[in-house]
Amino acid sequence: MSLLKIENLHAHVDGKEILKGVDLVIRAGEVHAIMGPNGSGKSTLSGVLAGRENFTITAGSVHYDGKDLVSMNAEERAREGVFLGFQYPVEIPGVSNAYFLRAAVNAHRKHRGLPEIDAAEFMRGVRQKLDQVKIDAKMLSRGVNEGFSGGEKKRNEILQMLVLEPRLMILDETDSGLDIDALKLVADGINAMRSPERATLLVTHYQRLLDYVTPDRVHVLARGRIVKSGGPELARELEARGYGWLEAA
Amino acid sequence: MLNNITTAIEKLPALPAGRRAALDALRSHGLPTTSEEDWKYTDLSKLDTLAIEDVAPSIENHDFPAAYDCGLDALNTALAGGRQTRTIEGRVELDTGKHQRLRLQVNRDAQLILDDRTASRFATFFAAIDIAPNARLRLLRIQNAAADAQRLTRLKVALRRDARLEAITVDLGGAFLRHDLDITFDEPGAEAQLHGLYLARGATHVDNHTRIDHRAAHCLSRETYRGIAVDKARAVFNGKIVVHPGAQKTDSEQRVGNLILSKGAEVNAKPELEIYADDVKCAHGATFGQLDEDAVFYLRSRGLDADAARRLLISAFAHEILDRIDDEAIRDRVTREFEAQLK
Repeated sequence: MSLLKIENLHAHVDGKEILKGVDLVIRAGEVHAIMGPNGSGKSTLSGVLAGRENFTITAGSVHYDGKDLVSMNAEERAREGVFLGFQYPVEIPGVSNAYFLRAAVNAHRKHRGLPEIDAAEFMRGVRQKLDQVKIDAKMLSRGVNEGFSGGEKKRNEILQMLVLEPRLMILDETDSGLDIDALKLVADGINAMRSPERATLLVTHYQRLLDYVTPDRVHVLARGRIVKSGGPELARELEARGYGWLEAA
Repeated sequence: MLNNITTAIEKLPALPAGRRAALDALRSHGLPTTSEEDWKYTDLSKLDTLAIEDVAPSIENHDFPAAYDCGLDALNTALAGGRQTRTIEGRVELDTGKHQRLRLQVNRDAQLILDDRTASRFATFFAAIDIAPNARLRLLRIQNAAADAQRLTRLKVALRRDARLEAITVDLGGAFLRHDLDITFDEPGAEAQLHGLYLARGATHVDNHTRIDHRAAHCLSRETYRGIAVDKARAVFNGKIVVHPGAQKTDSEQRVGNLILSKGAEVNAKPELEIYADDVKCAHGATFGQLDEDAVFYLRSRGLDADAARRLLISAFAHEILDRIDDEAIRDRVTREFEAQLK
């Protein structure tokens, strides 16, 4: 069954049409990659899926696990298991990572009718995940992403993903700005989440991440539409030939 | 308004001569009006409904100052029935919900907690504080008075050689509030750290005026205020720093940040810097803004609802100040009261 089904999706930003009829089906257990040149609509697509409110959907539909995703607000989507890994994670001084993560976990638990988790139990659960992304426990007491390097911010996104255990992961340029070690940690995190119940949408400009996370399908987004789809070999072809041959098509 | 106040005080039984003199001084000075720069946004004529129960009865054993530098100075003394002088040491708590006129001496190490405890409608609290050489004062003023409370406070702190002041002020409640905090460095080597938070909601008017006079060389001042205005409230902040001739090697920094969360809310914040010495380090800045909507979305994208996300961000903004309260019981109480005001 499809976990995410996008049909003929059109979306505007400030009156300008960015997505011009996107169709995409992702089944549980699959990893898809969306690639495309800058300005092709990749970040708009991930923002629309996560529920950003500066986009207007003018036509089409998005269904997640059979439910109408468009009618849900951002927090409902998150609690239903949709996760967006941000291209530019936000710094929030004054709110500690630990507090934020636990508040997020408790929002999810409440949604599922579970009692709140206390600080000690929460820390026991997080500790092993910290090791997985090599984040020092001390960083949990710092403000959310406050003073984090680019790589630390992206690893923190992966940490949140591991802790929240979403069903649909949308990772928006999570590979950008990472050195090779951080890229491997991020890829390990994504691979650790692969399961028959979950699906992943990798939004990326480069093929680099796909050396470590092998996608089932690769799509090329250009000028607001998916212009080509294929297997993992398409990513390598794009790396070799660029996007020009598809954009011209 | 003046007649109203003076009549109320004159009706008190057994009025001492000093109190009469304070009333005369009040009449001759008059109260500041909005035509004066320092009172541009705070209109004292709003106090004109003053009643007899807003006035303290006469108290024995108080002395009276020989002269008054302004009408408010005289008003406070007249209302408080004179001035008390005392030395403070260790932890001392005073009530800003009652009219008081104080002269306080700090010779060693003192922690002064000014809490608004009496459910009075109107109170004026004026204190002159002298911090002796090498002495240290931790000053905490907390105001979470009832929604109709009117308060005028003025704290004048003079620091001697190598003295130290750590002041934190928090305003959460009240209807009409004006606070003056004046710091003077009279001798070298002293240091003052000021932190303030004001939350104005409903129709509250809260005005914080601070003034730091660097009269001596080698003194350091740091000042951080944060303000939040919602509903139809108005917050005023004026931070004046004067570096006098000869106050070389002054090191001064002032930051004020404001969140304006409703269309009808207003903040008037102004840093004022006057420098008459050439070898000094001074920095200041004021910001005004709304909540960072990217941060709100980030929190929501992890499952926090929009209201909780906004409250969390407002709290984080305020905690920069609240977290500096080192008395744990008071910090917890003030934090709870702050969170309750946000609901």
